Parts: sequence; structure tokens; C-alpha cells
Amino acid sequence: MSRVGVEALLTSGRTLKQGRAMELGKLGPEYLKEVAYCEMDTVTLESLGLEEGDPVLVETQYGSVIVSSKVDRRAEPGVVFIPCGPYANAVIGSETESTGMPKFKGITAQLFAAKGKTVLDVEKLLKKMVEGA
Amino acid sequence: MVEDTDMKEHIVCPFCGCLCDDIIIGLEGNQIKENKNGCAISKAKFLNHHDDRLEMNAPLDELVEKAAKIIANSKRLLVYGLSSTENDAHREAYKIAEVAGGVVDNTSSVCHGPTILGAQESGEAHAALAETRHRADLVIYWGSNPQFAHPRHLSRYTRAPGFYIKDGKKDRQIWVVDVRKTISATVANRFVRVAPGSDLEVLCALRAIARGKVLDVDEIGGISVKELTEIVEAMKNAKYGVLFFGLGLTQSKGRHRNIDAAIRLIQDMNVYTKWGMMPMRGHYNVAGANKTSTWQTGYPYAVDYARGYPRYQPGEYTAVDMLVRGEPDAVLNIAADPAAHFPKEAVKHLSKIPVINIDPKRNMTSLLAAVNIPTAIAGIECDGAATRMDGLPLYLKKVVDPPEGMLPDRDVLRMIYEEVRRMKK
Repeated sequence: MSRVGVEALLTSGRTLKQGRAMELGKLGPEYLKEVAYCEMDTVTLESLGLEEGDPVLVETQYGSVIVSSKVDRRAEPGVVFIPCGPYANAVIGSETESTGMPKFKGITAQLFAAKGKTVLDVEKLLKKMVEGA
Repeated sequence: MVEDTDMKEHIVCPFCGCLCDDIIIGLEGNQIKENKNGCAISKAKFLNHHDDRLEMNAPLDELVEKAAKIIANSKRLLVYGLSSTENDAHREAYKIAEVAGGVVDNTSSVCHGPTILGAQESGEAHAALAETRHRADLVIYWGSNPQFAHPRHLSRYTRAPGFYIKDGKKDRQIWVVDVRKTISATVANRFVRVAPGSDLEVLCALRAIARGKVLDVDEIGGISVKELTEIVEAMKNAKYGVLFFGLGLTQSKGRHRNIDAAIRLIQDMNVYTKWGMMPMRGHYNVAGANKTSTWQTGYPYAVDYARGYPRYQPGEYTAVDMLVRGEPDAVLNIAADPAAHFPKEAVKHLSKIPVINIDPKRNMTSLLAAVNIPTAIAGIECDGAATRMDGLPLYLKKVVDPPEGMLPDRDVLRMIYEEVRRMKK
């Protein structure tokens, strides 16, 4: 795996397809497809030497996760997006600054190409999260 | 024989805080065959309500007894969720928290909890959705992507014609303020890109400009002072403005301080013209969870009954903080999926303690739970009441019968409450 990465601010949020997939079943393939990706601009994707759909490792001070890469043609370099769900939550912190609200948006992240690596399904990701690996 | 389709009108959609009440459901017997007027998510919810259900893996009485035993033996129970169920189920959950001396929190602690904290600081310059549709000539979505999260918000309320706004496209301006150019930004009249984490500075700068202060910089939060001045002038010159704000304000740097500043900006604007604001509530009854919690406990979320009377302290009795500290020794989760939506440190503790999960469908929390109790889906398989994002209560209708043996959340919770009381005597 390449250790030459791209730094960006990671944000998370809702998407229409993520909302739809939740209703179809959170343990199903549709949900996995709609929450296990990182959306970025084309410059970031090209800098990582990736083609859309290739796996990308997203690393923050709180952890790392492998997701698929996806292009957002409206995006600008510096901000990347993972739909809200377990994959985004695997790399966010739990500090709430006494508000109850963790910082789901605006986390400094580094992206690395992860060709050949697999995106874990929801059940395996959960197992990895709770076992602390 | 082909059965006739029976059309049920004025059905309320139990998905997002818009609570669209114009859904028409086509039925063949006890099967939902059609959803007219609903968005893509609403269609998925109604047409797939029978898919991926939690299974009842023991008789209900046994599951209730097992759940009650866990609760009765717990020293620090956390009751969590509630935003995707109806108001009567909330009442039973608060009773369980009280009798067990536990904590009850709802999902607003990870969505618009900071909105409540902001309002507690500065008041609430609230608007209504009908008022917006009929009167608003300037609508701003800040940190919100309604085309994805509230798919009919624009078409029903902010692009739709109203009594005074005859043409929703020509007579009304829609602006989007966000860190990303979202799909909603592409359909808006104006997109303002704010640098991530700069919302508080931008809101404070807008207030300063509105009060005639001269800012000795060229730009703030990635926006030129010239553009900020234009925004303030347009806001002052609107006849009726509404600021809709989403998790882009509550979940980013500043959290409740962002909301505090936004409320004060809207209060300032009311010196010149009429402005209101409204949080874009996500789960269909998260606004209701805040209301019922306030009615019954005195506080909107993060309520602790350990001393026998309710105490309120976000940061201390909020679910994520409690789980990260390793405090609860049991969790009663109702109509929510904390394993999918909490940071991993919180999920780790969930996996170490007994979780009672009450939900119609399988989800990530159901994989961790010691007891899973499937229930009927409120608004599809049983009735109830829920609160729209602007505070309007609406009655959810029962459209079809639930799968055999599935009861509404309120009935299961009432059974657990009675059993816990019996065990505690």
C-alpha cells in the first residue's frame, strides 16, 4: 500500500441513496454500497493514482478504514466526504466537548491508495470495531 | 382472481422530519403495492416494510421477562433512541428509566442537541413550514442538504407557490451555505461556500456588518467581506426570511455556539424585517422525542433519574459520553441504531454490556444485542402521534396489519415496565 497520501478534511452526512438503503436493510449489500465510500474531487483521486471505485484507506488520529473511492465532480480539493454510517464513524473521535455531540464533520484525514485491499462488510467492520483491532 | 387496489389517502410518512401528510398508499389486501407522492426514501420505507425484519426468537413473554431482569438488575441503565417511534412509546420509556433509576437520552444528542443548547442560551426565533411556503421570499439552507435528507422539503415548502408568493421559483430566492457544493446547492439561486469549521466566524461577521461595523479584513471563512455585506443587505431587504439549518452547523466546530450565533443573527434581522429559523430535523419524531421528554421529565434529552428525580446535563447524561466513560451496565435501545451511528469508542462499550434492542428491523445494534424484540412499524403497521420539524403534531395512521405477534413499541415497553415494577417490589 502506498504511503504517499493526500491530506483533507473529512466530513460526513446524509445522502438520498443512504437513506433509501437504510430502509432496504442495514445488513444488506445496498447499504454497504451506499455508506462504504469516500467522495473526493478528481485532483485528489488522480494524485492518489486511483481510478474511481478503487479502494482507499482513510486514516485519522482516531483510526482508519478502507472504503471505495468515488468522484464528486462538484468537489474541490481539501474536503472529502463519507456518508454517515459505520464507516465514517470508524474514523471519528468520541470527544463531545461536554455537549453530547461527537465531531462528525471537519476531521483532518489522510487518504492513501489501497489497491488490492478489501472493503469489509458491515458485520466484519462491526467486529473489528468492537474488538479494537 | 385479481384483487382491487384500495387507495388510502392523507397518510403521513414516518421517515424524516417533514412528516409529509399527502401520501397515498395503494393496498391489495394487507400488501402495500403503491406509494403515490412519496419521495424515494418514503417509497422504500412503505414498499419494503416487510423486508429484513427482526425475528422473534422466543415467545414475547419470555423476551419481556429477560429484558425486565436485565433492567431490574442494572445499576446504571441507559435508555436510548425514541426518535423513530411515536409519542406513546416515549411515555413508557421514560417510566422505565424512572423506575430503574436510569438515564434516558434520545437521538437528538447526536443531531440537533446543540440546537436545543443554543436555544436555551438565546431563545428560539421559530418559524412554521406553512408560513414559509406562503410568505417567505428569501430562504437560506445553512449546513443542510434537503434534496438528500428531506427530499420533498423544497417541492412542498420552499419552491411551492403560496398565498403571498404566487410563483415559488420567481418570487422566492433560495440560498445554500455549505462547505461542499451539494446537490441542493446546484438547484439554489445562490451558493455560498464557507470554509470548514468557520461557520461561527461567518455568522458573527454577518452580525457585525448588520450593526454597521467595519471589518478590517478582506475575507472571513473563505467569503469576501463584499459578499458578506451583500448577504446582509439582501437579508435586511427580504420581506420574510427563513433560515433552515442542518447538521453542518450542529456537528461541526462550534456546535451549539454556531446555533447561538445563528439565533442572534435572526434576532438582529428582526429589527429590520421579519425572519424566522428552523432546524431540519432528521428522524420523523425526533422533535417529538424532545417534546415528550420535556413534558414528562422537564428536560428535552440527557435526563438522569439516579436520584429518583430528573436531572439534566448534556455531556454527562448524553449517550455517547456515558458509553465512552464505560458507565452504563445495560442499555435499552428503542427505534435507533447506535452501533451504526456512534463513534467506535462508544460502540465498543455497547458490545460489552447487555443491550435490549426494540426495533422492527435488523440493524447493527441487533447484532450486538442480548435481547432483540421485534415490533410493529409506527405509521405503517400501528398508529400514533409524531411531531413535524416545525412543532406541528400529526397523527400517524395504521395502513396494514403488522406481522403476526408483533405489537407496537408502546405495548412492548408497557409490558417491560410492568415486569420491572413487579421485580422491584
